[in-house]
Amino acid sequence: MKSALKWEVLAKCSTTKARAAVLTLPHGPVNAPVFMPVGTQGTLKGLTPDQIKDLGCQIMLNNTYHLGLRPGQELLDKCGGAHLFQGWNRNLLTDSGGFQMVSLLKLAEITEDGVQFESPHDGSLMLLTPEHSMSLQNSIGADIMMQLDDVVSSLTTGPRVEEAMWRSIRWLDRCIKAHKKPETQNLFAIIQGGLDPELRKKCIEEMLKRDTPGYAIGGLSGGEEKDKFWRVVTLCTDLMPREKPIYCMGVGYAEDLVVCVALGVDMFDCVFPTRTARFGNALTATGTLSLRQAKFRDDFRPIEEDCDCVTCKSYTRAYLYTLVTKETVGCHLVSIHNTAYQLRLMRQVRQSVIEDRFPQFIHKFFKDLFKEKDAYPKWAVNALKSVNVDLLAGEES
Amino acid sequence: MSPLTFNIIRQSTQRSAARRGTVVMSNQASTTSGDREPIIPDRTVAVSPKKRMIETPGCFMYSVKGSVPHFTPDTLRQQELGGVSVSIEHMLQDHQPAGFDKWSFSLSKFLNLQDFILFCDVRDTSRYFRVPINTDRYISMMTHQGVRQLTLEEYLKIVRAYAPDIMATFTDSISDLELTEQGKLLGSSTGQKRVRKSVDRSLKWLDQILKERQGIDTLAEDRVKGQARKKTVGEHQTSHTTNATAANSNDIVNEAISTATTTTTAKAWTDVSVFAHVGGAQIEQERIRSAEETAKRQGVDGFIVDTLTLPGTKDEVLNLLKISLDHLPSEKPRLVYGMQTPEDVLKSIALGADIFDTSYPFQLTEGGKASLYSFGPSSPLSTSSSKRWINLWDEEHADKFVPLLDGCECYACKGGRHTRAYINHLLKAHEMLATVLLMSHNMHQYSKFFENVRQSIQDGTFEQYSDSFMEQFGTEPERTGEIHQAQAAVEAALLRRNRLDVLDDIENAASLDKAKATAAAEEIKRQKMQMREARRAKMKEEGLKRKLQHDLIKQQRLNQEIESKGQEEN
Repeated sequence: MKSALKWEVLAKCSTTKARAAVLTLPHGPVNAPVFMPVGTQGTLKGLTPDQIKDLGCQIMLNNTYHLGLRPGQELLDKCGGAHLFQGWNRNLLTDSGGFQMVSLLKLAEITEDGVQFESPHDGSLMLLTPEHSMSLQNSIGADIMMQLDDVVSSLTTGPRVEEAMWRSIRWLDRCIKAHKKPETQNLFAIIQGGLDPELRKKCIEEMLKRDTPGYAIGGLSGGEEKDKFWRVVTLCTDLMPREKPIYCMGVGYAEDLVVCVALGVDMFDCVFPTRTARFGNALTATGTLSLRQAKFRDDFRPIEEDCDCVTCKSYTRAYLYTLVTKETVGCHLVSIHNTAYQLRLMRQVRQSVIEDRFPQFIHKFFKDLFKEKDAYPKWAVNALKSVNVDLLAGEES
Repeated sequence: MSPLTFNIIRQSTQRSAARRGTVVMSNQASTTSGDREPIIPDRTVAVSPKKRMIETPGCFMYSVKGSVPHFTPDTLRQQELGGVSVSIEHMLQDHQPAGFDKWSFSLSKFLNLQDFILFCDVRDTSRYFRVPINTDRYISMMTHQGVRQLTLEEYLKIVRAYAPDIMATFTDSISDLELTEQGKLLGSSTGQKRVRKSVDRSLKWLDQILKERQGIDTLAEDRVKGQARKKTVGEHQTSHTTNATAANSNDIVNEAISTATTTTTAKAWTDVSVFAHVGGAQIEQERIRSAEETAKRQGVDGFIVDTLTLPGTKDEVLNLLKISLDHLPSEKPRLVYGMQTPEDVLKSIALGADIFDTSYPFQLTEGGKASLYSFGPSSPLSTSSSKRWINLWDEEHADKFVPLLDGCECYACKGGRHTRAYINHLLKAHEMLATVLLMSHNMHQYSKFFENVRQSIQDGTFEQYSDSFMEQFGTEPERTGEIHQAQAAVEAALLRRNRLDVLDDIENAASLDKAKATAAAEEIKRQKMQMREARRAKMKEEGLKRKLQHDLIKQQRLNQEIESKGQEEN
């Protein structure tokens, strides 16, 4: 199908499957691997578009479900799309809306037609079809839009997983057909198939025939064991064409990002950094600081010494201690830092791939974060071992 | 020599006392605390030095906990205003102000405000929270943890450590609640006595502050006197004897004083300028006395007239303000609390007031409103519009893809980037960017308003444009506490949303591995706890209000007792 993106791989890690690339989208270039902050309702938790831009963010997420409810499709059309609506002239990615239906609304029922759910406003039954999702996402005008997929919990086993996989393929066909702006918006397919390697293989085989501009690994991050999670990820990246971007949905913890990049993933998103900021938790290379704790009362260091975000340049932990969870500014300040942290981490990852010292970076990253080798998550050790990085065997220099 | 200078550039020659000027700090903001040597390296990045100045008529930016609401350091600097006011009662954390005991730099460094003129007062400068009455020893204030007492000695310690550019004096302000509690005190002898006492106390404290600033320890006397008195009062109560103990207690006090006066002098802190509160409640002769006596003191750099506690109609309050301003020397700046709306500001300027605060744009923002008013000829709106603001909660804005105000240069409006429709959406979605953008707009318009006022004083058109402003915009509608319907709907939906949030969290939790799911669950639990605590705090606050009134009466009785004892002693 048509594509409105350009994918140029700049460098490949000589040890792992990591790669550094430039993804050029209608609203400008995106340096991959990339973490995309989530601006659910057309705004990233109190940050102005200029602040987001200043942090070096090139692509942000919006949620189709939320924007479809408010401001609604009619207003989005009237205004000319979500970019104009929120004053953001860089790239946007929207999900299909299906995930929220399933996760937020208990009464969602999935039929061949689409996802049936109860309206949160008046309780009436509504139906989200692949056609409707495409229509909404066309109105939003996101640079990357996601197909509506049949989401099942990754803990589900049996024939339901296979049914969902085949249905997602049928829905992809309907999405491709209903997509009205393939010249300006890129439709990504979502690979389903649960934890079953055979189903995943089959799904990838079918979806590759549709030749969408990019692919996402779906149906994960649903509470499955991490050791199973990474095996599916690595299987998918192995089977996927190397000339297309690969997006792993809902992944955002620092160690998950680093491991998944090593497994060959290019794009990530997660609400975690901004959500945890609202509870006063600041992310750093050596772990999370819970700024509400009294031990920060007289701690006159910035959140992170080398961070160049406006929060770290302006305030001490002691002052943030007085603000977090009490003033909106406290929220904004920690959100700024956490977003800066995530984006910087990805920049560092990318740079190390370009300079072909990613394995060394991984060693240092895990040492900084977990301090002791005993504390390294086992799944991460296993996953990295599969791409020739042995975390437990002495440091590479 | 105080680093603060006030220059009057132009005095209105027409029928008002309006004047245009500048308050300029000749020094760089103090970075080190007055008392201590830095014990930790300075890690914050210095802000580029600029001339620290407030053009008058102008305003300090109102802050909560030392931050201008909704502004991060970068968005704050998009505003044109040069000063920030900080209230000590906001800064109290546990039992000490934030950063006070271990921080070895100034408050302006702690708050990253070195490029602003930093003003400090004890109480909130925009709202008056009623507290139990003050005594000779301390004043009461309302902190996040409830009512607390602050002695002058503690306040001076804070000021020395914080080293703000300008400090307000310690003052015994009386709220009308106090007066009515004592029973129709207006004009009654007890009421007059209370007011006279408040003026005396404030003057005494002013003298002590001015001496202390020169490095003379005046508090030692108070300290021992207080201790001695406490002791004798205690003895008094237990022994039930009369004359003998009274004479004895006098001896103890005198003895204590004689030892105290030999105390060595402390370090001077003349870099801190002093703005003196003038009061006198609603009694004319006391207001005049307070103003004249305060004006006599050498070393006062400016004056503060607090109208927040004054009862009566706006005109009555303005008249009380006028009495104070008329008896103050014109060559020093006058800061006014409680005159916040544009028309009150204009009326106060006409009486000779110079500096205000930005609580008005803050309040508009909290109500979801965007300023449309403007002063003078350069109004970007057609003169036919008489709306001083619009409420962005109104559904009519949902499809208005236009800026808040045409031609506005604020961050939100500039280049038509953010529209009324977007802000309406943000409010309804309960997204924090709404207040960031509204605050940016409202602050910009407020400072623009002052800029135009200054220009009109320069041009000699202030009175004329003031008249036309009142004609065009009338007066601010009384705030009834009524919430906009749409806002109420969202607030109601918030209850539901809180439930949704939990679901939302579960959605997130489901996507994490087990350990992190537990962490998320804990976070939800904590959130719930916070909600419960908030409810509890609210109930507590209501209980506190009742207790306050009770305490008040008790306190007064105690005071009268102490007073009568004092009289006995003499």
